[in-house]
Amino acid sequence: MSTVQFRNVLAGLACSVLAGCAAVGNEPNPADPWEGSNRNMYAINDAVDKAIVRPVTELYAFLVPRPVRTCVLNMFVNITEPWSGLNSILQERGHDGINTLGRFLLNSTAGIGGCIDVASTTGQPRIANDFGITLGVWGVPSGPYLVLPIIGPSTVRDGLSDIPNLYGNQIITIGLINDVALRNSLWGLEFVARRDALLPISKTVDSTALDPYSFIRDAYLQRREAMIRGNLQDAEQLPDYEDFEAIEADEKALGMKEDTPQ
Amino acid sequence: MRKMTSRQPWFLQKIFSFVACAGVALTLASPVAAQANPNPEDPPPEFVGQVVDQLIDVIKKDEAARKLDLARINQIVGEYVLPYVNFEKTTRLAAGKYWRQATPEQQTALADAFRNTLIRTYSGALTRVDDGTSMTIMPFRGDASANDVVVQSQVVESSNSSPVRIDYRLEKTPQGWKIYDINVENIWLIQNYRNQFSQEISRNGIDGLIAALNKRNSSN
Repeated sequence: MSTVQFRNVLAGLACSVLAGCAAVGNEPNPADPWEGSNRNMYAINDAVDKAIVRPVTELYAFLVPRPVRTCVLNMFVNITEPWSGLNSILQERGHDGINTLGRFLLNSTAGIGGCIDVASTTGQPRIANDFGITLGVWGVPSGPYLVLPIIGPSTVRDGLSDIPNLYGNQIITIGLINDVALRNSLWGLEFVARRDALLPISKTVDSTALDPYSFIRDAYLQRREAMIRGNLQDAEQLPDYEDFEAIEADEKALGMKEDTPQ
Repeated sequence: MRKMTSRQPWFLQKIFSFVACAGVALTLASPVAAQANPNPEDPPPEFVGQVVDQLIDVIKKDEAARKLDLARINQIVGEYVLPYVNFEKTTRLAAGKYWRQATPEQQTALADAFRNTLIRTYSGALTRVDDGTSMTIMPFRGDASANDVVVQSQVVESSNSSPVRIDYRLEKTPQGWKIYDINVENIWLIQNYRNQFSQEISRNGIDGLIAALNKRNSSN
């Protein structure tokens, strides 16, 4: 077998293993070349979620009143603020970085270890940030969309960024606790608390999405792009939908087309 | 599951609601003044503020809605949201290039089907309104004389929870301003349905999309 042939076979294998080419419908989405394998991983994640994660989370939501759940989530989010702030600074968004660190200091003290989000009530809401956004701001392309085990929607860039994110958010915070049982319990609780915060979104997707996979993918990619652009520019970065009624109206005005109802 | 969350043991509820009141709710509670109907001729930030304030106010005061009675919430959406939203435009933009290929009957059927999907989306959000829910309209940025504007807001769903950023996109019509797109935490609704629509249409045609939406609406 010549090298070229061998390469073709390899490419074919990679294609069928990674992308499940045959499984994908007529119009492949340029942002999601690996749709076939992504859909498989999505199905696995969804099954695990429905069988284990969701029931546990719903039990948590049933047993623990909302104010307490909010407090718990706020505390876990609070300890990730320094990492968010550092990323803002790396993105030359110094103002955001300072505000995030200010939030951390205020909420850790006046907010009793982050339980009460005092900073939000005084007008400084959280500025979510992470290393994937930092790379995006630096010009690193996202690469193909990628569904990761357990974590779910991601891209090649964001998936790789999860390694430093894990370090900054977890290893040098909760990970420093020596008592293994306590540390692991906290991680378990954090996982459930974060899943709990996403339950309403899951319900919305379940009851409104035509294709939950596309819905989640498009939402994820849209949100990440907007975070990279930065909130300040949002007003100028509106999606430009082609309005075919406006085009028709123009044509009508020019006498090119008959009136259509509606 | 919704039923479960509202039925914690009463003594826990008492204890925790006391803690919540003492600690947090006092600083957040803001009385909502009774208002007249929202006026679409007002500047967009005021108009959106009126629509959302009225909606939150109605839900807070409505016994059935507070018990998460979805039928009542759907009715409230019909009464307090629908009049201010241009669903036809939302549907048209989500359908993109396929809109022109649809017959007028298909266009109407598609807009009706999608409207029901959107009602379900809003209703889901409204089931989470509680006494701690509040909304702030952000300072208006952009061209005040434009016919297509964005109003930004922050919604605190429940006391002490992180504010959620919600933006509304409005268009000036002969009847005043109409909302036609909504953005939750950087995700625009129309944008998010475009791929799903084109996917379904390219597989099963426009009638297939209408059927899929209706099927979605009649399930659970």
